[in-house]
Amino acid sequence: MIIDLGWNIIFGLLGLAFILTVFRLIHGPRLPDRVVSLDLITAEIIAVISVAAIRANQPAFLDVAIILALISFLGTVAFAYYIEQRV
Amino acid sequence: MNIFLLNVLLAIVWGALTGNFAPENLIGGFVIGYLILWLVFSSFPRIKYFHRFLLAIEFILFFLWEIFLANLRVAATVLSPRPHLRPGVVGIPLSLKRRAEIALLMNLITLTPGTLSLDVSNDRKILFVHTLWLESTDEFIQKIKDNFERRIQELFE
Amino acid sequence: MISIVVLILAFLGAFLVFLASVGILRMPDLFLRMSATAKAGTLGVGLMLFAAILHFQDFVITSRALAIIVFLFLTAPVAAHMIARAAYFDGTPLWAGTVRDDLKYHYQIATHTLDSQAHPAEETPAITVVEGDDFTEEG
Repeated sequence: MIIDLGWNIIFGLLGLAFILTVFRLIHGPRLPDRVVSLDLITAEIIAVISVAAIRANQPAFLDVAIILALISFLGTVAFAYYIEQRV
Repeated sequence: MNIFLLNVLLAIVWGALTGNFAPENLIGGFVIGYLILWLVFSSFPRIKYFHRFLLAIEFILFFLWEIFLANLRVAATVLSPRPHLRPGVVGIPLSLKRRAEIALLMNLITLTPGTLSLDVSNDRKILFVHTLWLESTDEFIQKIKDNFERRIQELFE
Repeated sequence: MISIVVLILAFLGAFLVFLASVGILRMPDLFLRMSATAKAGTLGVGLMLFAAILHFQDFVITSRALAIIVFLFLTAPVAAHMIARAAYFDGTPLWAGTVRDDLKYHYQIATHTLDSQAHPAEETPAITVVEGDDFTEEG
């Protein structure tokens, strides 16, 4: 019971983190801020995936986390390159 | 580096001989191989492998401790209603020369909460670091040089 | 017993990720925001993956999760460096409370390089700061 409660608190914290980050994503004020918050959102998704993998006892979920980690890095680098070159 | 490969080879041989390739068994084999190599090579003072291995472990422990402390500080700053902030961008003169060492230093500085490495000048002489709490510039530069740069230098020389 | 350890690790990770999101919301300028997110996020995710390693205790999953952790720790600083550099060229203003800016006048805007010597202000064309929202400005 106490363990279930603990996991629920973890999911709640992660969901709250999502909401706060999405607020920054919408609010801006500039493009680099949005890129940073997108990066953080990807990190949060990886966190949620690993928690879900533990809770559902499904190690296959971790493969999704690998792909996300790879793609988010490429996306951030591409965004940074775009921001720098458009000046 | 060669001795490291030898050590890995010894660990694999240990796994093969005991017929058990479980990771904990391989790690045990690695430790035993390390001790054997240390016995064999300890009469050659020029070989730095053993000293370096201990340095690396000490460096990792120190770095984890530093991350823990800085995390507490960032947590206090972020959660306090009126955060105490004195941010600043500081140029740190580099004494490291090789690209890989500078890249490692930048990564470590960024991973320590509260500091962020921004860029290195073209001639690799100055590293620009952004910090959350800049009380004294000289003290900050001295801290980075003592804590991180000196240890990296010892590790790679 | 092991489930308690897993729970504590995952809770610490979730708390760090939560701290990162509070930081990105509350900090006043981009560089401060990145200071709060770049590692709190990385360490939090690292702790969660470590919890997954302890939970499954399987060799294949351990190596896979360790690969993610190493990859995150290698790439997060690189991404932070690239965004900071791009933001500086983009003209992102530093917070008014910043006490020191050694980077001023060091970037060469024309060639996109960084010199170790500072250039006098008249040689360095000022970065034009566009106030407001990027997307509404450029359509």
